[in-house]
Amino acid sequence: MTTAKSSPRNWGLQLVLNALLWVIPVALVWLLATPVYNRFLLGSAENLVRLTESPNMTNLLRKDDHFAYVQRRDFPPSKSLVHSFRVTDVHFHLLMLGVLFLAVPRVPWRRKLENLGWAVLITIFFDILLIFFYVKFAYATQLGAWSLEHYGAFSRNFWGLGKHLLDLPFKFSLPFLLWAGFYVKDLMAEIRPRE
Amino acid sequence: MANKPSTPKPSSPATGSFWQRNRRELTFLILFVVILGGSFTLISLNWVNDHAVEPFTAGIAKMSGGVLRVMGQNVTMAGTVIRNPRFAVNIRNGCNGVEAMLIFIAAVLAFPASWKSRLTGLALGILAIQVVNLVRVVALFLTGVYFPKIFDTSHTVIWQTIVILCGVLLWIFWANRFATPPASEPAT
Repeated sequence: MTTAKSSPRNWGLQLVLNALLWVIPVALVWLLATPVYNRFLLGSAENLVRLTESPNMTNLLRKDDHFAYVQRRDFPPSKSLVHSFRVTDVHFHLLMLGVLFLAVPRVPWRRKLENLGWAVLITIFFDILLIFFYVKFAYATQLGAWSLEHYGAFSRNFWGLGKHLLDLPFKFSLPFLLWAGFYVKDLMAEIRPRE
Repeated sequence: MANKPSTPKPSSPATGSFWQRNRRELTFLILFVVILGGSFTLISLNWVNDHAVEPFTAGIAKMSGGVLRVMGQNVTMAGTVIRNPRFAVNIRNGCNGVEAMLIFIAAVLAFPASWKSRLTGLALGILAIQVVNLVRVVALFLTGVYFPKIFDTSHTVIWQTIVILCGVLLWIFWANRFATPPASEPAT
C-alpha cells in the first residue's frame, strides 16, 4: 500500500508495515471462504484417494465447518469412521500467503495479483495433496492390526515421514517459498553494500 | 534497479539461459529447501527429539510458567506440561517455535550474505522468535483459562500464523537491511 519512493534499505521495512496492514482484511476473506474451501478440499482429496484404491472404499465426510472424518466403507458401520482431522488447519497458510504477496512494495498491482493468483493455485494443489497424505498416514499407521496387514515397514515410514514433512515444514514455509520464488529477485535488487 | 556490470561479459544476464539469469535466486531457493528438509528430517529422529527438542520445549514450558506465575496464575510445571486447577497445556512440536526458527535459520543460511551478517541475524532473529513464542504460550494458556471456546482456533490458526509470519518478516527485514553481500560477491 505504501508507494512513496525511499532508499532501497527501506523496502523491507515498507513490506513489514504493509504486511501488518493487510493481516486483518486477508484474515476476514479467509474466514469467509473457509467453509466453502473446506468442502472443495474434501471433495477433491476424496477423488484423489479413490484414484489409488479399487474398489473405492474411502469417503471424506464433513463433520462441521472445520472438522472431517475419514470413513472406510469396507469396515463395520460402528467402526467405519477411522480417523478425524481439522480441515481448517490444512490451509491457514493461505493467510500468510495473502499477506506476504499483497504487502510487496513498489510492484504494480497487476503483477502483484497475477503472482498471487499463481501462488494460490499452487497452494490449492498442495492442500489437496496434504489431505491425501493425512488419509494415507492414517491408513498406514493408525489402524493397528489392519495397518500392519496392509502396509509394510517401508510404506509406513514413507507415509509417516511424508505427512510429517508436508504438514510441518512445507505447510508452514510454502507461503514464504512461493513468495521467494516470485519476489526474491526484487529483494536482491534492493540490496546495496553499506557505505 | 540493478547496477549494470561495468565490463561486458560473453553471456550477459539478459541473454543467458534461465539458470544463468536466475543463478543467485535459484541457488537460494534450492539451498533453502535442502536445509529446511534436512533440519526437519533431523528433528523427526527419536534420538534428536528426546535429547534436544524435548529438553528445549521443557525450558520453554518453565519460562512460560514463570511468566504466568508473575502474572498471578497458580501454575505448576512438569516437563512440557503447564497446569493450574482450571486448565493444562502440553507444549508439543508446532508450539515450541522450533518450526519458525528452522524456517528462519534455513532462509538466513541460504541467502548470499557475509558470515558476520548471518550470525548477527541468526542470534537476534532466534531471540525475537522465541520472545514472540513465549507470548504465544502465555496468551494461549490464558485463553484456555478464560476463553476456552476460542482456544482451538487461537492455538492452530491465529498464533501459528503470527509466529511463522513473524519469522518470515524478520528474515525479509534482515535480508533487505542488514545482509551485506559476501566480499567475493558484488551487490546486484
